[in-house]
Amino acid sequence: MKEELFVSGRNIPNIDPYLNIWHWQIPIYLYLGGLAAGIMFFAGYFTIMRKEKDMETTVKWAPFLVPGALVLGLFALFLDLKHQLYFWRLYTTIRLESPMSWGAWTLMIITPLSFVWVASYMKELFPKWDWKFDILNKAEALAIKYRKSMAWLMMLLAVVLGVYTGILLSAFNARPLWNTSVLGILFLTSGLSTGLAATMWMSKSKYERKVLSRLDLIMIGIELFLIIHMLMGFLAASEVQIEAAHLFLGGEFTVVFWVFVIILGLVFPAALEILELKGFHIPVWIPALLILIGGLVFRFVMVEAGQITRFLY
Amino acid sequence: MNTETDKKHQPRYINPYFGGILLGLLLLATFFIAGRGLSASGAVKLGVVSVVNMIAPEHAANNPYYSKFIPADGSSPLYNWLIFGAIGTFFGGMLSGAIFGRLKKFRVEHSPKISAKTRLIAAGAGGILFGIGSQFGRGCSSGAALSGTASFSYGGLLVMLLMFGIGYVFAYFFRKLWI
Repeated sequence: MKEELFVSGRNIPNIDPYLNIWHWQIPIYLYLGGLAAGIMFFAGYFTIMRKEKDMETTVKWAPFLVPGALVLGLFALFLDLKHQLYFWRLYTTIRLESPMSWGAWTLMIITPLSFVWVASYMKELFPKWDWKFDILNKAEALAIKYRKSMAWLMMLLAVVLGVYTGILLSAFNARPLWNTSVLGILFLTSGLSTGLAATMWMSKSKYERKVLSRLDLIMIGIELFLIIHMLMGFLAASEVQIEAAHLFLGGEFTVVFWVFVIILGLVFPAALEILELKGFHIPVWIPALLILIGGLVFRFVMVEAGQITRFLY
Repeated sequence: MNTETDKKHQPRYINPYFGGILLGLLLLATFFIAGRGLSASGAVKLGVVSVVNMIAPEHAANNPYYSKFIPADGSSPLYNWLIFGAIGTFFGGMLSGAIFGRLKKFRVEHSPKISAKTRLIAAGAGGILFGIGSQFGRGCSSGAALSGTASFSYGGLLVMLLMFGIGYVFAYFFRKLWI
């Protein structure tokens, strides 16, 4: 146990000496939100590009994961709340300066949208499916008619959702590790990458897997660039941010960050994907699973490590 | 027919002597980087200690064997270089298998004269004996034989000579499992 002696200053439980308010529920929520955003973004993108037939899993099958991921993620978030019965109060106001307000409203729109998207493909994918009520059949016809508009909306909201999962943390200006503008785009990229990995794992089509694999390699490249950029930014900043970076550069999160996030979660799956693109036989689930686990560990590490970082006082 | 692609799918192996040299260099690198040599059974041992420590912490703490491997600072026995070495070995092996065309569907490789079930039973029995033996010898073919002899350990040398010597003798009796 590490003990710390206070001779002056504050002593607020769960705030001092370290923030201790966010546990497993938050990284799970951020992860599932990012995963859902990744799947929805590419479902929307390939719909707009009129590639529904070539990219069937991306557009039609993978989105089936989204409602489940969002509901589970929101449930995890609900479990984290101190005053659970008051969650609805988020929806009594719109505050443009609050990331939580952005997230709450985005989720309020994107969650039902994901259900509608999946429902619009039910009959096509399961020919024996019957909605039973005429009004549902009419609603389905309407959804199919406006599918392209839905795809645009889905892409836009997926970006907002993906960025929000990072901005939720970066808005904490009292936590040096989180307080970087890189985090929003980094979490979005990671979410897109995990979404691609999940879709790739589900796909049976060689062509589709190849396209997704190429996109994923780009995402991994961007992610690595952003992580390096973030660490360099910290090292060039004030003392508290240098200390935050040192958690990953010799500190207590070094091993888990470099082994499970960077090497096994990004570099190694990227190497396997490159080998597969070059014609080597690689079972698709291996890189996909590694990316999915890497994304999850990344969020756990960021949430845990971020709570430890603080301004000196 | 695409001969180039077919070639990539054929399992390939490097020259065993060259492989031996590479293994020696790897051992050297491990000593240089981690300050200790290679190990395989050690990771499994720490896995067992960790499970016992999780289920019955008092028993693990009072047991003279288990307690040796439980860190005094309360951290997990798994937070050890041996575990990360084993993880690296697993993924490194996977990469090698992918590059040399050995990474295929799950399968049990065995002699055509025996069934997969016989192979698995024989492998399980051999593995158990190897695990017990490695604890008698304070290390397996990696920890005692490779790392031990590399650091001029007499015990390591003895383990290596007896392990491979007895292996040659017993291979005759179990040859039908292979040829």
